Amino acid sequence: MYKIPLSMSLLGLFLGLIILPTVGLADLNIYSHRQPFLISPFIEAYEKESGTKVNIVYASKGLAQRLQAEGELSPADVILTVDIARLSVYADKDLLAVVQSSLLENSIPPHLRDKDNKWFAFSKRARVIAVSKQSSDVNNIKDYEDLSNKEWEGRICSRPGSHVYNRALLASILHAHGYEKAKKWAKSLRDNFARRPQGNDRAQVKAIQEGICDIAIINHYYYGKLKFSEKVEHRSWADNVDIIFPNQGNRGTHINISGGGVAKYSKNKKEAVKFLEFLISDKAQELYASINFEYPVRTDVPLSEELASWGKFKEDKMPIGKIAVLAPEAQKIIDVIGW
Amino acid sequence: MFSQVIKDNFLGLRSNGWQTLALLFTLVLLAPIVAIFYVASGNSEGLWEHLIDSVIPRYVLNTLGLMLGVAIVSLIFGVSTAWIVVKYDFKFRRVFEWLLLLPAAIPAYLIAYTYADFLEFSGPIQTGIRWLFGWEKATDYWFPEIRSLPGACILMGAVLYPYVYVMARVSFLLIPSSFFDVGLLANRNIFIAVALPIARPAIAAGLALVLMETVSDFGVVEYFAIETLTLGIFNVWLGMNNITAAAQIACLCFVFIILLIAMEVISRARQKFADTTKKSKSISPTKLSGLKVAGCWIVCCLPIIIGFFLPVGVLLGFIVKGYSVDLNVELGAAALNSLLIGISVACLVLFLSSVMLFTANYKGDFLMRRLVGLASIGYAFPGTILAIGVVSVFGHLDAAIAGIFSNFFNLKYSGWFGSGIGLIIVACVVRFQAVGYGAVSRGLNQIPKNVVEASQLLGANFFDRSVKIVLPMIRLSILAGGLLVFVDVMKELPMALLLRPFNFETLATYLYQFAKDELLEEAALPALMIVITGVIPVIFLNYTVNRLTRT
Repeated sequence: MYKIPLSMSLLGLFLGLIILPTVGLADLNIYSHRQPFLISPFIEAYEKESGTKVNIVYASKGLAQRLQAEGELSPADVILTVDIARLSVYADKDLLAVVQSSLLENSIPPHLRDKDNKWFAFSKRARVIAVSKQSSDVNNIKDYEDLSNKEWEGRICSRPGSHVYNRALLASILHAHGYEKAKKWAKSLRDNFARRPQGNDRAQVKAIQEGICDIAIINHYYYGKLKFSEKVEHRSWADNVDIIFPNQGNRGTHINISGGGVAKYSKNKKEAVKFLEFLISDKAQELYASINFEYPVRTDVPLSEELASWGKFKEDKMPIGKIAVLAPEAQKIIDVIGW
Repeated sequence: MFSQVIKDNFLGLRSNGWQTLALLFTLVLLAPIVAIFYVASGNSEGLWEHLIDSVIPRYVLNTLGLMLGVAIVSLIFGVSTAWIVVKYDFKFRRVFEWLLLLPAAIPAYLIAYTYADFLEFSGPIQTGIRWLFGWEKATDYWFPEIRSLPGACILMGAVLYPYVYVMARVSFLLIPSSFFDVGLLANRNIFIAVALPIARPAIAAGLALVLMETVSDFGVVEYFAIETLTLGIFNVWLGMNNITAAAQIACLCFVFIILLIAMEVISRARQKFADTTKKSKSISPTKLSGLKVAGCWIVCCLPIIIGFFLPVGVLLGFIVKGYSVDLNVELGAAALNSLLIGISVACLVLFLSSVMLFTANYKGDFLMRRLVGLASIGYAFPGTILAIGVVSVFGHLDAAIAGIFSNFFNLKYSGWFGSGIGLIIVACVVRFQAVGYGAVSRGLNQIPKNVVEASQLLGANFFDRSVKIVLPMIRLSILAGGLLVFVDVMKELPMALLLRPFNFETLATYLYQFAKDELLEEAALPALMIVITGVIPVIFLNYTVNRLTRT
């Protein structure tokens, strides 16, 4: 009869042990929306430089809710995200601390940081148009706006509109043209799709090689990743397309950012700011390009050889925070037209 | 005399104690769900008008379509194979009995990834077809699109049908052979006239689990871009930055689930009737030969190949091709973490289900039984949403404790729930309670009431009765439930992803960082490890089912 209570108490003890906290006090704790294998080179470099141990938890969704629920007790020091809308959610919920760092302010262009100094961008990704090398007329595409022309009917591939990258692109178009025009553009674009929106950006480049479509909207670094992939198959997809940076004659190519901020209730704010400052150091800014083909936010850091070979491009300099403000409106359009 | 009073009081206290404990467990399990409803009660800023005008009809139709399709596929696969292995005797029948369970070890998101890879343009099938007919481009020919609603139905059905198969098989085995004799004498088809009607409640119970998993799935529908209600929850939450409306959609999903639960409750009520004569001999299988054997093999092989061997083959293919074969320390640690969480959650779920159901069944009233049943609805919510419910409840709990500590004891409390793997375990218990609850309650229904009553008359107290009489009688059901929970936890992704502590990976989260970018090759090894750890308990499950029905 006493066998069960004993085993239960052992179970209790066991559970108590495994639930015990595992994080040291002096460590730097990061909540990240960026995949571990993309950040770990930064972490390793930082740990080596500063001697601070860095702990990470990665999740694609819900970290802001977790941080909010943890409140003052949250162990998080630094937040890293890959999209401005996700980043500004933290600011909206008042989960970020104001950071006083002249280094950050002086290095990062004003349109790529929060006016209240709560968040900062560290790298840029351009939303570009990939076109098939097999067809020649596609080189007439100059602007995003051109994609809504009737002549591309059945020739464009895209991932679902509800994905953050497309939502952000539509938000930039909302900013440039207003609701009615943006909606009309999105609708005509959708009518030009060669297939139901699906897959990620990589899959769109693949679709071009498969002959499903000739035009795809992708983030620029996917092209770089495919071009230098260790898989022959991936390289052949990239070999088959050219990249167009749209809107060079007017407002510039839409960009999104990866960025971060310091958690409001961080117990280690000094270290957290130091880490953000590390992310705009020469070394880290170069890492963004070499790991993931992303553009550094600092304009004085030389581009990697590969990025430089794609040529300089003009970027849309709308305040990046505006993208986040317009994103819900963009999502509504996406819902209505069914992208 | 004196000792008698003490004993009575002591036992009296203890029995009240059990009810209190069961109620406490119910509260803990319901708290995250209440938290979701609380979020949903907020102001959604008039978003519903837009949602109903634009996406909700689409979401609902797709959700219903997916449910219907998955139900059809899993019923066809599950019931036909269960009937064949019970009714007929053919070579390799014993092997098929457990092979048919294997797809349960494959996470739904994984089968979606592997099939998309296998059937795509550059996959072996299409490449072969192009080579055969001399085609070059995708536009030269038509090929069915796997990333579609029908594709999702087939694939999800192919990994979820084992729930139906297990239930149907046990139920078929428990039908007395005399029933079939009567059917034969009346010259009726014994499958349609006898087996199906009697097994219907059990099949419905299995189907309810299948459909709950279908409604709350995010991995497959996101990958295939099928706009279901669950996909909509995430669009509204992350796209429109409106968690209130998202929680409201989650609660709409809940309506679907309540209907399913009602279905199960009704089915359970009928099941009692079916079990009254279970002491009789079950049907003896008919020996088959020749072409009929081949027919049985085809019917049994189809779901196993679709749901297990093909996806596993694709994964093995990646590994053989030499991508990421490094068995690194990280992966080993992830495997250990998965095992740790799986075992802890399985034990906890069984403990909670047993305490709650024993108390509700033998000491509780109607209200208590309903409450205990209600506590197993966590399964109906998408993992991430449930995780948010869990983190809000325990975040507030931590904050409250911290407040008490600093105000009354002047001590610093740094949060106990938020810092370890406690939250993942709690979340998994809430989500998979349904599985344990189902297993224990089915076990309890099989115990003749007079046995328990007799022990009560003989003076055994509640604890003795539970541990010495009830528990041994249902130990196989409990074991089977525990194994199912374990397999489910091994596959679980979104809750572990969001709730884990720093530097902590399970096999599923480790896999996800690659799979998210469609880097399936790098994800192959952890994926295969999930499958292998899932296969062992699945085979063991077959053994317990055989013990249950053949002794």
